[in-house]
Amino acid sequence: MLSALIVIPLLGAILIGLLPRVSSSHAQTGAEVPDYSRAIALLAVTLAIFWSVLLGFKFDTSISHLQFVENMPWIDALGLTYRLGLDGLSLPLLVINALLTWFAIYSTDELLQRPRLYYMLILMLNAGVAGAFLAQDLLLFFLFYEIELIPLYLLIAIWGGAQRGYAATKFLIYTAISGVLILAAFLGLTWLSGASSFGYDPSRSQFLPLATQLILLGTLLIGFGIKIPLVPLHTWLPDAHVEASTPISVLLAGVLLKLGTYGLLRFGLGLFPEAWSVLSPWLAIWAVVSVLYGAFTAIAQSDMKKMVAYSSIAHMGYILLGAAAATPLSILGTVFQMISHGLISALLFLLVGVVHKKTGTRDINILHGLLTPERGLPIIGSLMIVGVMASAGIPGMMGFISEFIIFRGSFPVFPVQTLLCMVGTGLTAVYFLLLVNRSFFGRLPVQFSNLPPVQWSERIPGFLLATMIVFLGLQPSWLVQWTETTTTAMLISYPTIGAVGHSLTQKDKG
Amino acid sequence: MDFASLAAQLNTEVILPELIVTATLLLVVVGDLIVGRAASSKWTPYVSIAGLLAAVGSLYFLWDKPNPISFLGSFNGDNLSIVFRGIIALSAAVTILMSIRYVEQSATSLAEYLTILLTATLGGMFLSGADELVMIFVSLETLSISSYLLTGYTKRDPRSNEAALKYLLIGASSSAIFLYGLSLLYGLSGGQTNLNDIASSITTAGLGQSIAVVIALVFAIAGIAFKIAAVPFHQWTPDVYEGSPTPVVAFLSVGSKAAGFALATRLLVTAFPYLTEQWHFVLTALAILSMILGNVVALAQTSMKRLLAYSSIGQAGFVMIGLVIGTDAGYSSMIFYLLVYLFMNLGAFTGVILFSLRTGTDQISEYSGLYQKDPLLTLGLSICLLSLGGIPPLAGFFGKLYLFWAGWQAGAYGLVLLGLITSVISIYYYIRVVKMMVVKEPQEMSDAVLNYPEIRWNLPGMRPLQVGLILSLIATSIAGILSNPLFTLSNESVTKTPMLQATVKPEKPVAVMKKSNESAQVSMKF
Repeated sequence: MLSALIVIPLLGAILIGLLPRVSSSHAQTGAEVPDYSRAIALLAVTLAIFWSVLLGFKFDTSISHLQFVENMPWIDALGLTYRLGLDGLSLPLLVINALLTWFAIYSTDELLQRPRLYYMLILMLNAGVAGAFLAQDLLLFFLFYEIELIPLYLLIAIWGGAQRGYAATKFLIYTAISGVLILAAFLGLTWLSGASSFGYDPSRSQFLPLATQLILLGTLLIGFGIKIPLVPLHTWLPDAHVEASTPISVLLAGVLLKLGTYGLLRFGLGLFPEAWSVLSPWLAIWAVVSVLYGAFTAIAQSDMKKMVAYSSIAHMGYILLGAAAATPLSILGTVFQMISHGLISALLFLLVGVVHKKTGTRDINILHGLLTPERGLPIIGSLMIVGVMASAGIPGMMGFISEFIIFRGSFPVFPVQTLLCMVGTGLTAVYFLLLVNRSFFGRLPVQFSNLPPVQWSERIPGFLLATMIVFLGLQPSWLVQWTETTTTAMLISYPTIGAVGHSLTQKDKG
Repeated sequence: MDFASLAAQLNTEVILPELIVTATLLLVVVGDLIVGRAASSKWTPYVSIAGLLAAVGSLYFLWDKPNPISFLGSFNGDNLSIVFRGIIALSAAVTILMSIRYVEQSATSLAEYLTILLTATLGGMFLSGADELVMIFVSLETLSISSYLLTGYTKRDPRSNEAALKYLLIGASSSAIFLYGLSLLYGLSGGQTNLNDIASSITTAGLGQSIAVVIALVFAIAGIAFKIAAVPFHQWTPDVYEGSPTPVVAFLSVGSKAAGFALATRLLVTAFPYLTEQWHFVLTALAILSMILGNVVALAQTSMKRLLAYSSIGQAGFVMIGLVIGTDAGYSSMIFYLLVYLFMNLGAFTGVILFSLRTGTDQISEYSGLYQKDPLLTLGLSICLLSLGGIPPLAGFFGKLYLFWAGWQAGAYGLVLLGLITSVISIYYYIRVVKMMVVKEPQEMSDAVLNYPEIRWNLPGMRPLQVGLILSLIATSIAGILSNPLFTLSNESVTKTPMLQATVKPEKPVAVMKKSNESAQVSMKF
């Protein structure tokens, strides 16, 4: 059942690869060979969306353990099993992976160079990410985690901006190092705990001495910290975002960063609860540093895309805060935040992409008055304001709910850190107001008075995303019900601090 | 001694694969003499490949042979040797696929080339099972001298001559040192030549820790390290690789290297059981140096052949991890890695040869924009290079994973961490080539690619190249995902080889720990 989510995109990729090549000889003779690669890619991803939604309906929200488990021995000598499973943590991420891939493909320029390779790589990326969210075996997770490396590298390096080679290589090296650290931690954990296989087992670390646990967890934290990214391991992200094309930025921010946060929850908190509780005050401080650094740096940016990229760093910091607090509420908030950040940043990147396409620049010092009706980009501008409000956590939107749940959950445990992170939310409003104020309000300069018209096909993804953001902001329980059982169950083995937070929230509820 | 017992002692059927190769070799030589150069080049390569494949097939029937000792103890055809002989014969077969066009284009005789290559293969195969000092030296020299001849085979090319001379001088001195080490062993053991007898008589004479034995060990390792091109005995590699005909380089980097590893395993494990810690220590040092130097220097290369030369030094460093940890898993991960290395490295070389045949260059910058003109070559070369870099789900990823997991289990944390770090470095230089081929836009195309000839597979000798490229492409992509048969093969070659079983470290602690953990968990529950 679950393998289908990996197999469908892969089959799509293979099918595209088998399409006849649109060679130069055809172009010379003038015989137009239609290119079906885009259609196939859209079809495959649509199937994947339906499949994951179907899974969502079949998913039993009252059970906390894994569902639809698939178990197949793969390589015994390595202790590698092909074990997939679904729980409330991975289900929303799977849906958003399929969804955002669809948006990415849909919003790709139809006149793109080398479409077959492009769509093949996107589908491979989708399959790899789905596999990583489903894998219930440490080595299998690592395998899928590394699979996305090369497709994403090529997607940035081939279809990116002027400095794409540099940005792609930087991404590659950072992610490869992160992979190596994660592998080292997995090997260490499995060997030291004396297990013969790499199967995911939360009780595995409990007999290890605390110092060993701390070393292993530290390695994992740095590995996933590169991917999330946390300050000071974040320097690849602004480069990658600025150089990547719009659809790739959407995928990078919306889906791939979630691999890091998912790994943090599943393998950091999940495998090392004891060490996690020791480190958690420091993690909360790290979160504060990340949030404030991201927010302040975003204020100083003049490139819209860079601004959104730094806001991603800040928003990922909330997830670390929620994970560090490890109360049922804050963990629920982190999952919600992953989804809301995925949707909001996808919306923002898409809109920035449209602005860049129409005006030729992303510099907020040059852009003015884009909201002007008739000659400006009024609808895009309005959508942008919605996205910005959601990102800044205005009530009624998804961003508000997720940040509220996280802060509500983490405040009893880390009051000071939570307050400082709230300052970060305030700063989000500052830099996004700057962005909107400078580039969308005011008079439209003459140079932008003849902007090419925006097609409806460019607006539709924005509308859909904005609708989802508002809808889930008003009806958060639709998302929460999938996740709540799992996140509560994740903390059963979590010692001391979690218990304190838990009792506090219980008391509040009573 | 009557005939029956003599036949039993000779046990000739053990060397059936080598006999097949010898027969093929003779057929090629005689056939070439009879029908002449032009006519013979049409069929000799295919006869050679058929012979090599028949030899590999016959190895299958020798698997798990109850009595593998033959020729009065000088040749041991145990399962370990069978795997190594298979690797060497297969690598020679693939090398022939990629040589046909290359040798014809250089206007030299193909049959002579094949004869020398088959002789080298024969030497390597005998070396894999050689259990006696004289046998070891004779087969080693058969391999080496044929290799010198092969490196100088394009005799009108001054660089090829330079490579051959360099290789000959350094190789001869390394052989001399190796032979000196062997002579020390011979003397210390009181005139024994069989490896097992040497070990037992040195132990009974109480010379196990004497300085003379240590010197013999050091000299032997120097000879082996030269064959597997481990740092600091690697200096010949870049120059020889750059100057020699490319198919020969492919054979040297796979077949000859595998033979070196076979020799290392057998000689060190059998003849130096009392110095295990010392040789592990020396080889660990060599592995560390090889991984660092090979992978770091490869970063700065501009020629594809030199890049592959340095990368093969680094790869040898990875393989040595499996050798030095001395566990079952270690040896079998070494064999598994050599098996997948066979496909991916030969695939990479096939791609390089194809490119240089069509454009006449092997500069990395000239690969720029190749996807536009030759998608199959781009795909094949990219997959093989990425696999060498250890990108999942390709074969090299599983090979490295197994090596590192085995190393980690044996407690060689430092080596494994270094391996992990250097494999990140290696990804960087492999991806550089992939980037050249795949990422560059049509307007950034290099001159060589701009003037790329039309792809014609029907030219003489091109079809085998295509077959070789596609075969190694498929093997590299599939061998990782469906690697269970290869895993079983490499595990059984180790567990069913008595020589290794006598010396491997007991792996009991793992099981004990697991048991105690389980019982602890059980007691927690109740």
